[in-house]
Amino acid sequence: MSLAPDSATSIRRRLLIFLLPSLAVLMLAGVYTNYRAAMLFVQAAYDRRLADSALALATHIRITDREIHVDAAPQAQPAAGTEHADLPAPFYYSILGPGGRLLAGNPQLPTTQPGSANPTYADVRLATRELRLATYRLPTAGGTVIINVAEASDWRARPGHFILASTWLMDFIQVDVTLLLVWVAVHFGLKPLTAVRRQIEARSARELRPLEVAAVPSEVRPLVDALNLLFEMLSEAARSQRQFVADTAHQLRTPITGLLGHLELLMREPAAVPLQSRLAALHDELTRLAHSANQLLALARADPSANLTDKFESIELKSLVERVIEQHFDRSVEGGIDMGAEAQATRVNGSPRLLEDLLGNLVDNALNYTPKGGRVTVRSGFQDGRPYLEVEDDGPGIPEAERVRVRQRFYRLPGSPGRGCGLGLAIVEEISQLHRGVLTIEAGANARGTRIRVQFPPAGAPAANQPARHRETATSISS
Amino acid sequence: MRILVVEDNDLVADAIVRGMTMVGFAVDRAATAEAAGAALAAEHFDLAVLDIGLPGADGLSLLRRIRGSGSTLPVMILTARDTLAVKVEALDLGADDFLMKPFEQAELAARCRALIRRSNLSANGQLSLGRMRIDVTGRQLQIDNAPVDLTGREWLVLECLALHAGRVVSKERLQQAIANWDQVLTPNAVEVYVSRVRTKLGDAAVIRTVRGLGYRLDEPRA
Ligand SMILES: Nc1ncnc2c1ncn2[C@@H]1O[C@H](COP(=O)(O)OP(=O)(O)OP(=O)(O)O)[C@@H](O)[C@H]1O
Ligand SMILES: [Mg+2]
Repeated sequence: MSLAPDSATSIRRRLLIFLLPSLAVLMLAGVYTNYRAAMLFVQAAYDRRLADSALALATHIRITDREIHVDAAPQAQPAAGTEHADLPAPFYYSILGPGGRLLAGNPQLPTTQPGSANPTYADVRLATRELRLATYRLPTAGGTVIINVAEASDWRARPGHFILASTWLMDFIQVDVTLLLVWVAVHFGLKPLTAVRRQIEARSARELRPLEVAAVPSEVRPLVDALNLLFEMLSEAARSQRQFVADTAHQLRTPITGLLGHLELLMREPAAVPLQSRLAALHDELTRLAHSANQLLALARADPSANLTDKFESIELKSLVERVIEQHFDRSVEGGIDMGAEAQATRVNGSPRLLEDLLGNLVDNALNYTPKGGRVTVRSGFQDGRPYLEVEDDGPGIPEAERVRVRQRFYRLPGSPGRGCGLGLAIVEEISQLHRGVLTIEAGANARGTRIRVQFPPAGAPAANQPARHRETATSISS
Repeated sequence: MRILVVEDNDLVADAIVRGMTMVGFAVDRAATAEAAGAALAAEHFDLAVLDIGLPGADGLSLLRRIRGSGSTLPVMILTARDTLAVKVEALDLGADDFLMKPFEQAELAARCRALIRRSNLSANGQLSLGRMRIDVTGRQLQIDNAPVDLTGREWLVLECLALHAGRVVSKERLQQAIANWDQVLTPNAVEVYVSRVRTKLGDAAVIRTVRGLGYRLDEPRA
């Protein structure tokens, strides 16, 4: 998983940014209502206990002859059965007879106004203390007796703090677990996308068949459908470009074949003897034209978009070297050049046709620019786990300062002999890039001549190693 | 030797007809696959030169028809299109050789001669290479009608090279050809035998060394 969470477009990040504040507000509201609800129950429980104390006090009241007595004046203590015996709450009471006459208890303790309920409760203040007061009205034969019982409010705050703390804790854990679940759910939710990504990554630039849609979730389906549409358009474009190259080849090569054929026949006619040099020049120019057409077509073929549907396959470089040498052997014989091979068997994933163009152009250069008596060696091999193709000659060499420029289209070194049009090394570079190869131009052995090598990515590299061009295309599509 | 050229472009066809006639072939021309089919059915040819890009039925479908009828007629394919698929398909369909336009007249003639040579060889075990006449079944070599003596291994080397005249034969292949189950060959044994054959052939043929690969036997240039 490499969905970078720091990227502004990360789904996780967006979800978190969206969820975190809302979850925080929800958490605050939850804590508040939980606290309030819990406190209501706590208050009710404590109030009932206070009321119990008032009732307990009521048992001390005796009525004789319409006289109201309070038996033994109770201690200022809460009702029996208090759980907090070790933490005695400050406890106050007063018993008032009719007319507000104090019968027992604390004379300063306020009393509440009679309400609908009995007992009634109120928050009062005695000196500096906050108190919770319960007032019980006891109707007797001698009139209504008012029993006031109060305890310090702050004592009640203790369970309140505890409840608050535990609600906070629980809600906090809930939010965390929710966020964690979201994180994990996003991971699993995005799995199908990862599968689609793998499908795309596993392709070479030349594979444009539609993506599998069977396993794609409906949310991602439109994206995959759009991609498939794009793939289809690209294959269509590739098809028409290939068709164009093929048609052009036909349109150019067939008439050139006819012209060359007739010219060769003419040159053999006895009547043409006085015209020999002019006919030879014509023949040269026509050969150059044919060569230029071939080079242009090779360049078009090497264009990454031209061969998009051509499958790359495993190619034996040794037999490629043998084939190319065989194709050029006659020219080496004509040119008096000792051409040979040092071919090690090794394989590369690539297009046979394009690699033949690549090696053919390197050999063509070596034969063109190496003078008679020279030596040209074509190599295939394996270095640092990477297969390579190499052509070395002992000709004039390419000056160090020109080694980048000669790869440009139509660039030739000043004064270069022969029928070249300056496309060979551009074709080589293009095909090399398409195979993720590295093209190096150096001097040959003993600093003489030229050694040009194309080093391919390690053999057995995953199929996902698309040509570099594909990467560029991919980014330009996504941006 | 009679050949049929199937080519729709008049200029190209004319050049081929004239060029091949000049070097001693009897040449007929057909402009369409249909006409070619009729000509092949009516008369005997030693070889067909077939352009792929024909109007109507193309060269490949004609080739399919030829092979479908069980004919072993040597077929040389010409094409101006450079898709590898076409080449692979043509060879799969039973084409014997393949030449990309534009080509030189001499190249076409040499390749056609090689094809006819090969088909004669399978027909009667005889191989003619310039001044050499090789009787493969009888293991006899004649240069200018005079027999030349070859040892067993020398003969094997010559046979292997002559059967692939004009093509590079790898050293390993030659080594396998002359290897005997009871004898271990030193690595330079092949070189030794090749140089002996070279001496015995004299100027009747050239055996070129392709450094690092092998050898190629060529007819001396006229
Ligand atoms: N092996 C070599 N030795 C010396 N110079 C070379 C060699 N290879 C290339 N060059 C120089 O680099 C230039 C560019 O080479 P490139 O193959 O791109 O074009 P070209 O050979 O001139 O034309 P084309 O290959 O299209 O026929 C050549 O013109 C030549 O000057
Ligand atoms: Mg070049």
